[in-house]
Amino acid sequence: MSQLRTNGRRVLEAELHNTSVRAISGSMVAYEGQVQFKSAGFGGGEGMMAGLKRRATGESLSLMECTGSGVVYFALDAQDVTLVELSNETLQVESRQLLALVGQLRMDVKFAGVRGAATGQGLFTTTVTGTGQVAILSAGGPLIGLEVSSQYPLVVDPDAFVAARGQLNQSFVTDVSWAAVVGEGSGEPFSLRWDGQGVVYIQPAERA
Amino acid sequence: MTFEKVNSKVVKVNLATEGDVLARKGAMLFYTGEVRFVPHSPGGAGGMPSMSGMLGMAGRAMAGEHEAMMAATGTGEVHYGRAGLHVSVVELRGDRLVVEASRLLAYTANLQSAVVSLSSGGSGGGGLRGMVRGAVTGQGMFTTQLSGNGAAVLLSHGGTIELPVRPGGGTFVDPQAYVGHRGNVQVKLAAKVGWRDAVGRGGGEAMQLELSGDGTVYVQASEQKL
Repeated sequence: MSQLRTNGRRVLEAELHNTSVRAISGSMVAYEGQVQFKSAGFGGGEGMMAGLKRRATGESLSLMECTGSGVVYFALDAQDVTLVELSNETLQVESRQLLALVGQLRMDVKFAGVRGAATGQGLFTTTVTGTGQVAILSAGGPLIGLEVSSQYPLVVDPDAFVAARGQLNQSFVTDVSWAAVVGEGSGEPFSLRWDGQGVVYIQPAERA
Repeated sequence: MTFEKVNSKVVKVNLATEGDVLARKGAMLFYTGEVRFVPHSPGGAGGMPSMSGMLGMAGRAMAGEHEAMMAATGTGEVHYGRAGLHVSVVELRGDRLVVEASRLLAYTANLQSAVVSLSSGGSGGGGLRGMVRGAVTGQGMFTTQLSGNGAAVLLSHGGTIELPVRPGGGTFVDPQAYVGHRGNVQVKLAAKVGWRDAVGRGGGEAMQLELSGDGTVYVQASEQKL
């Protein structure tokens, strides 16, 4: 199996031994050795249903598959890279913040609620399920992992949300006081609320 | 250490111990002690050891490989930084560094500077190919070469990683992420099937740089041009 590792804070290395790694198209900055690049379609799986979901949601990400022997270096817009190890579990991730993945992992697009219809945020999210490594991106600095437990639910700004793992339930909250603080622009100001047991990852910057 | 990194985006240099320093105009943040700043023209009257290439100042301007530089002389300590970009210090010991002028923050004046075609010195590198590359990638077809003993500071978006360049080749870099290289390195433009899917961020040309020889290539963690 291919192995991912970080090189500094912002570059991801994938070592290939006749193996492959999937990554966001355009994220390759350099490689050594014999590596082939080909389009691997979109996240959310193949087939007609997946295609319909993509069209309906806009939650699409274009992936490429890098196959061969050597080392491939990935980076995107100088964002920080964090590796997450999954062992037979599900990671929910904002599609724009996914960099690469290796292992027995299946991607899908999940319906997360109606509330995001106004802003397009959080209505659908990408999920990665199985065992392997996922590299995720965070703008503005290193990724921040926040523990969620049953006594301590968490509320985050959807523009700062990056990923979540564990036994978590997501809901939307609209609170007038939040409107002044987050979501500075127009549109429906709302927040993401997480209940249950798990970790929510946020970035120290808000997506525009 | 000639240039000392204060943090990931600022360097300082002591002119008393390191001698004169040339830097991008406007890159000086602050200084302490006795320092004088003089505009530095690459045409180079006044004994500045700058032009040793075959291109004169006109050539430089034509090649687009020119940034206004300031020479700092004196005995003080100068801090440099630019636009929140990351800095990387490269110490040269008789070898050469090739970098685009737009990515060069500062260098010690004892280094020889010249404008060269990116492909020069390579066996397969012709002017035509260099021009094609410049046109295709938007990266310059000519670059600045520094050689001798001294140090230089590179600018990058997100910092640089260093990759070894080997005689057989096999090191490939996205032209947008390429910052510069050192040593006896040949750079070749290559197109690959499927490359369009891998680089270019939205339908650029399917181009890559293949490096071979003996040296190091600097790659930035972003595809943003400077």
